[in-house]
This record gives sequence, structure tokens and C-alpha cells, in this order.
Amino acid sequence: MPKSWSIFMSNVKKEKLLSVSNILIMTVTFVLLGLLINIVVFSQTALRYLEDQAQVTVFFKDDFTEDKISAMKDGLSKDKRVSALVYVSKEDALRIFREINKDEPVLLESVSASILPASLEVRAGNISNLKPLAEELKIVDGVEEVRYFEDVVSRFKFWSTIVYIVGTLLVLIFLVVSYSVVIAALRTTINSKGVEFEIMKIVGASDDYVKLPLIHQGVFFGLFSSFIASVIMILLGVGVTLANIFPKGLGLGFLPGIFMPPWVFSIILSFILLLSGFLLGYLGSSVAIKKYLNY
Amino acid sequence: MPQIEFINVSKEYDPGKKVLDDVTFKVEAGEFMFVVGPSGAGKSTIIKLLTKEETPEVGDILFNGESILNILKESVPDLRRKIGVVFQDFRLLDSKTVFDNVAVALEVADSSLEEIRSIVPNVLNMVGLTEKMFKYPKQLSGGEKQKVAIARALAHEPDVILADEPTGMIDPDSVDDVLEVLEKINSLGTTILMATHDQEIVNAMKKRVLRIERGQVISDKKGGKYRA
Repeated sequence: MPKSWSIFMSNVKKEKLLSVSNILIMTVTFVLLGLLINIVVFSQTALRYLEDQAQVTVFFKDDFTEDKISAMKDGLSKDKRVSALVYVSKEDALRIFREINKDEPVLLESVSASILPASLEVRAGNISNLKPLAEELKIVDGVEEVRYFEDVVSRFKFWSTIVYIVGTLLVLIFLVVSYSVVIAALRTTINSKGVEFEIMKIVGASDDYVKLPLIHQGVFFGLFSSFIASVIMILLGVGVTLANIFPKGLGLGFLPGIFMPPWVFSIILSFILLLSGFLLGYLGSSVAIKKYLNY
Repeated sequence: MPQIEFINVSKEYDPGKKVLDDVTFKVEAGEFMFVVGPSGAGKSTIIKLLTKEETPEVGDILFNGESILNILKESVPDLRRKIGVVFQDFRLLDSKTVFDNVAVALEVADSSLEEIRSIVPNVLNMVGLTEKMFKYPKQLSGGEKQKVAIARALAHEPDVILADEPTGMIDPDSVDDVLEVLEKINSLGTTILMATHDQEIVNAMKKRVLRIERGQVISDKKGGKYRA
């Protein structure tokens, strides 16, 4: 073990209570950061699932013939906002109706294909295009009714944005607190070892000899607490995988079309947390040395 | 070639208030020189300039023929290992034993455990503290503490020992012991520069005396005397 690590370990042992409280606060920060990233990715994935399901259903008047519907479908297929189109004829509608109501023969007897409307299911690549599409289709001649589940999707989007904003604020606050905690801890160490540092300087210690154990101390706080948070995130990822909450996997907003199992994502997240821990500890200790070590 | 050379050195901590004013002197290798003068005369500043804790505004300081003003920051530790410093207040670590206090000087230079185990007892033997090796500073007299500080300064086998009022905080009975140790080290070839305002010591030792007042060299005499 390098000498600077053994010196830093003795620093940590001398200030056990302070070290434990620092690690606790920083662990909370990294757990929050991990949870926030998870929430963002989970909600993005859920939104994508919902978007896949979300569609505008256009019901046609009886006098709107299949030829006209086909022409309209051709027109819509050229619209860049539209990702998929499914035509449901009167006969298809009756088949679906029969399938759904197969246990109710009385109801089935009273319904024929002629009374069910033909419809066109329109799916949009982006959920925000559903509303304008619905508005445009409503005023087309021959369209009886347009339905889409605007509320569910927009509410989900609204709440996921709120969670994202609040979570980001919390993480930022805790990052600042953790950064201050690293600086405060090292300030205590520097103050308590002021005479020792002075003596080291007199007898010919290099800057690195004095500074490295302090840098290691900050990096240790950051890495150890982010490691605990990483373990928690991996357990969460494995739990989500086993519960099969996202059968297709998790989708990342910046990687369209790519889905990965939650446990794989949790390992990537762990690396992000460990890197954040390292940077927070390194920057905090560097600033504390610059500010408080008159060397 | 002189071992230490101050060439027209001026130093001021506050603008316009010179602590050293155009100071010039040379010290040959193996010399024992007192730097005397009243408090605030600039004695300690000479020591701080030599260890590069401070830098002069004007002039140059040579050590073994090389200017220490041009030394890179990374090389300052090397300079400090060639110059041992002893302070009036000992500057020992109370939580460490005598052995460990001396070992600090070697640890910072990345000496091996074997080297430390060999050198520390040697230097403690030189100052006569072998039996107190595992005592703590609180268990020692003032004179013994100063001897530990001298042993620590000797650990790197420095070319020069700078002693800043080394007898200022020790009982009169121990003063002779400390001076005896310094003379012994000097007799082995190490240059000693001792700042003091104790005229009895200076007059008894009959060494070279550099007198400084208000930052200026007033006199520089071999076997000189000092009257405060």
C-alpha cells in the first residue's frame, strides 16, 4: 500500500465519527442521484410504451365508402407524423365485437356489420402529434368521430416532468452539501494537523507528500459512498428485471430504438455514480487544500 | 567557495518597512557562526530566507555556489534536506515518540524502514538520547526536547544546521548540553548558524559573530563578543 494511503487511513481512523457522517451524507446524495436517473429512464421508457399504444381512432360515416377511406389512408401514410395505419372495416369490427362479446349471444344476435362503423387507427411517431392529427381528422368529410387517449398520456408526461424537476433540484442540493462536506472534513484534518504539516515542510517533505493523503481522503469519501449507492442501484436493477416490469427493456431517450435489460442499465448507472463520486471527492479535496493548506 | 552567501539582500514584509536592508555576508563550510541582535533585528528572517520560506525583494542568496532564488518549487524539499533547522519552540509532535519524531524527517524523504531503523538510533546517540528513544516529548526536559529537534535536523546529514534561538526556552542547566551537542556536530564538519540574543552564550563560545540591528549588518568578527 502506498505511504500516502496509509497516512490517509490513519487520518480517517482518527476522525471516525466525522468520516462516518461524511460518508452517510454523500451516500444519500448518490442514492438520490441514482434514483433520479432511474426515475427519468423508467418514465421515459413507460412513456415510450404508452406512445406505442397511443393512437387516434377515426370512425367513418356509413356513406363513406372503402374507396374514399383507402384514398384517405394513402394520404395519411405520406404524412411524416404518422408511424402506422390500420384499417378496420365493418366486417373486421364485427369480428372484434364478436370476439369480445362471445359469451353474450343475445347481444351478438342484435348486432350486424352494417351498424358498426369502419375505422382507421392512426399511430404517431411522437405522442405530441396525436392532438393536431386528431384535430385535422375531425373536420374531414365522412368522419363521424375521432377518439384518442389524450389525458392519460399528457398527465403522465406532466407528472414525470415534475418528478424530474424536483429530483434534479434535490440532487443539486445534495451535491452542493456533499461538496461542502468534503471540504469541511478536510479543513478539520488540515487544522488538526497544522503543526505536523509545518514540521514536514521544514524537514523537506514534498508538496505531494502532504497533499496526496488529503486528496486520497476526499476520493475515498466519494468512491466509498458512491459504491454503496451503486450496490443499491444494482439491486434495484435486478429487482426490476426479475419483476419483468419492462418486458422490452429500458429505453434511453438519447438512444432511440435501443432497449436494454434493467440490470445492464444499473451497471452502467453504477459506473456513472462511481465516476461522480471520484470527481466530487477529488474536486472537493483539491479545493480544500488550495483554500486551507498554507503550504 | 563559501557555503552560504548573502549578496546585498533586502527583505520587507510590509511595503516600506525593511526587515533586512542590503545584508551581505559569507559563511564557509564547517564554520560556527552566531547571528546576534535584538528581537526584530532580522535574525529569523535570515533563516527563513535560507530555507526558502521567504524570498528577498532585492539581492541574491547562494548555497554551495548556487542561487536558491532560482530553485524550482519542486526542488525546495531537496534544499531543505541539506539544511537542518532547529527552533526555539522545538516543534515536536506530542503524539509521537522521540524515535518517531526523528523518523518524520526520513519518512518524508521516502526512506525505507531499514534506513529509518539504522539512522534514527545513530542520530539519537549523537545527541545523547538513546535511552529516551521511546519516550514522548511530554516526558522530556526542555533541553532534551531541543536535542530531539537537533537529532531530527541531523537525520538527513545536512550541510548546515540553522538554529533559531535554540536555547530560548530551556532551563539554564540544559543550555550547556545543547551547545555541547551543536559544537560536536560542528566538529564533525557541519556548518552551524545560530541566531541568538544571549550574550553569555556568545561570549563564552568565542565563535564568529555577525551582529544585525534594524536589518543591517553592524559588525562581523571572528571570536567576537556581543553586548546586548
